[in-house]
Amino acid sequence: MSFWAQAVEIARVDLRVERRLGDVLRVVLPFAVVGLLVFPLALGVDLSAISLIGPAVFWAVGILFGMQVALRQAAHDNRERRDLYALLGVDPAARFVGRTISGSVLMVGFLVVLLAAMIVLYSPRLPEGWPIPVIVGLGLTAVGLTELGTLAGEVTAGLRNRTALASLIIVPLALPLVIGGSQTLESLARDTGILPWLLLLVATDLALAVAGVAMARPLEEASR
Amino acid sequence: MNRVRILLATAGIAVLTGLWFAFTSPVDRLQGEFSRILNLHAPFMWVAFLAFGVTAFASIMWLIRRTPRWDRLAMASVELGVVFTATGLFTGMVWGQAVWGRAWDWADPRMASTAVMFFVYIGYLALRRAIPDPEMRAKRSALLGAIAVIQVPLVYFSVNLFRSLHQTQSIRPDGATMPREMLMALLVNFVAITYLYFALLVARLHLARLEEASAAETAREPDAVTPPRLSEVKDV
Amino acid sequence: MLSSDDTSLVGSNTILERAGASLGGRSILRGLDVEISPGQVLGVAGPNGAGKTTLLRLLATLISPDQGSGFVLGARLGSPDVYDVRRFIGLMSHTPAVIAELTIRENLEHAARLIGADLERIDTALRVVGLAGAAATRGDACSFGMLRRTEAARLLITRPRLLLLDEAFSGLDVDAQELIDALIGRTIEQDGAVVMVSHDQAHLVDRAARVMTLSAGRLETVT
Repeated sequence: MSFWAQAVEIARVDLRVERRLGDVLRVVLPFAVVGLLVFPLALGVDLSAISLIGPAVFWAVGILFGMQVALRQAAHDNRERRDLYALLGVDPAARFVGRTISGSVLMVGFLVVLLAAMIVLYSPRLPEGWPIPVIVGLGLTAVGLTELGTLAGEVTAGLRNRTALASLIIVPLALPLVIGGSQTLESLARDTGILPWLLLLVATDLALAVAGVAMARPLEEASR
Repeated sequence: MNRVRILLATAGIAVLTGLWFAFTSPVDRLQGEFSRILNLHAPFMWVAFLAFGVTAFASIMWLIRRTPRWDRLAMASVELGVVFTATGLFTGMVWGQAVWGRAWDWADPRMASTAVMFFVYIGYLALRRAIPDPEMRAKRSALLGAIAVIQVPLVYFSVNLFRSLHQTQSIRPDGATMPREMLMALLVNFVAITYLYFALLVARLHLARLEEASAAETAREPDAVTPPRLSEVKDV
Repeated sequence: MLSSDDTSLVGSNTILERAGASLGGRSILRGLDVEISPGQVLGVAGPNGAGKTTLLRLLATLISPDQGSGFVLGARLGSPDVYDVRRFIGLMSHTPAVIAELTIRENLEHAARLIGADLERIDTALRVVGLAGAAATRGDACSFGMLRRTEAARLLITRPRLLLLDEAFSGLDVDAQELIDALIGRTIEQDGAVVMVSHDQAHLVDRAARVMTLSAGRLETVT
C-alpha cells in the first residue's frame, strides 16, 4: 500500500472508531460549551464586557478543550496497537499524516460548533464579511492543533501521566495558532490586512507537518 | 403496541389543538406576534423540569428497589427531558432575539442555569453510554440522577431569587395576570405538551423493553465460535 | 511498495551475535548468540522476568540491541532496513492486538488493506479459525479465545516469514491450541521460521526442534 493509501486507511478507521465511541460529539463538545458558560457567570452581568470577550473566550476554550480532541487517539493507543501497525509495515509518517487527517476533520467540526455556540451566548460584534476568513482561520488552526496533539501523543507514548503531560506540551506550542486565529478576526474588525495572520497559521501548520513526518520514525523508536 | 400508537396519535391531536389555540389567541400588545412563542416555550420548560423530576424519583426508587423498570423510566425521562430542554431553550432564544434583540441574556440567571441543567443531563446520558454492564450503569446513573435533580427547583425559583428580566410567574396562586384568552391558550398548551411527554415516555419505555428483550435473545444465541477447520489452512 | 507475498528482496537469516538489550536503563538481555534458519522452530523457555518478551520484541525489530549486533530476515537491527522487513514478521503478543471498537471482520480488513493482502482471504481465514459466525462481533465484546483466533486469522492472511509467539498457548482451549499448531505448520511449510517462548517447557518440547533456556537475560542451555 502506498504512503498516502496507508494514511487514508488509518484516517478512515480512526473516524469509524470515533463514530462508534462518540468521544468528541457526546463528551468533549458539550463539556466545551459548558466551558463557554463559565466565563460570563464568573464575570457577572456586564453585557458589553461579555460581548467583547466572546471571541477571546472562544479561542481559550477552543484550545484547552480542543486538546482533548487532539489527544483522543493517544488515549486509545497502547503498546500492542503500536506494535501491530509497525509489523503491518505502516510507515510511522503515514500514521502521523492519517491521524492528522482524521483529527482535523473532527477538530474543524468541533470548533465550528463551538464558534456557533459562542456567537449565540456572547453576541459578539462581528465585522462584515467575517465568515469566510474566520472559517479559513479556524480550519488552519484545527490542522495545527491536531498536528500538535498527534506529536505530543507520540512524544509521551507509554508514559504514566501521559494525558496531563501531553496537554502541558501542547498549550505553549499552540500559542502561534491562538494568535493567528484570533488576530484574523481582530484585523478584519480593524480593517487591516488578515494575510499576515493567515500566513502565520499556514507556516505553523507546515512546520508542524514537516516536524511530524521527519520525526515520526525517531519518535516511534523512542517510544519503545 | 396499539396502546402506544393510540397515545401518540392522541398526543398529536392535543399538540395540534394547542397550536390552534396559540395561533388564534390574542397577542401581547408590546411583543406582538412573537408572544405566541411563549405558548410553546413555557410548556416545554415546565415539561423539562417534570421529566428531570421523574428521573430523580425513578433513580431513588431504583436505589431502593433495584428493579430494571425504574432504571428504564429514569433513562427514558432523561432522554425526553434533554429534548424538551433543548426545544425550550431554542424557542426561548428565538423569542429573546425577536423581543429583546439578543438570543441569550446573561442578566437572566434562569437561562444560564437551565443551560447548565441541560448539560448535566447530557453528561448523564454520556455516563450511561460509557458503561456496558447494565447493573453498574443503572447504579451509577441512579446516583447521578438523584443528585442532579437539585437543579430543577433552583431553576424554577431563580426568577424570585435573583434579578431577572424574565417576567415573574404569570400564573400565581392568587390569580393570573394575563387576559383570559391568552391564559386559555397557554393552559391548553401546558396540558398538550405534558400529554405529549407522557405519550413519548410510554413509547420510549416500550422501545426500551424491546431493546432489552432483543439483547437478552442475542445473549442466549448459540456460541458463534465453531471448531477450527484445520484442513483448510493451506487455502488462506 | 511490496505486497506481503512478494518476498524476493527479503533475506532469510535471523541471527543474533552477542546481542544485548536494555529497557528503562536496565539490562534485560546479555550476550545472546542464536541463529534461526528457514524451516526451523526454536523454543525459548524461562521463568517470569527472564527477558523472553524482550527477546521476541528484539527479533521483531521493535527494539534495537545496545550490545552486539543482529540481523532479522537479512535486515540489520537498528538500521532503517528493518522498515522493509517488518511486514514479513508476525507477532502474537501476551495481550492480543485487536482494535476494540472494530468488529473481527473489520480488524482483518484493516490489516489486509495496510499490508496489501488480498481481501478475499478474509472469509477463508474466518472459516478456518472458526469465527465466521462471529465476524460481526466487536473486539471489546470478544472473549480472550476469540481475540487469539482473530490474531491467528490475521497471521494466516499476512503470511509472515518469521512468526514470533509469546505464551501463545496460555488460556486457550484445545481447538485454539490446535489452530496455533496449524499456524506454525503453515509457516514452516512456506519456508518460514518460528520462535516461540513459554514459561512452560511442555508447550515447547513437542513443537520445537531446539529449545533454549533464558535466565536472567542469558541463554544458558540448548537442548
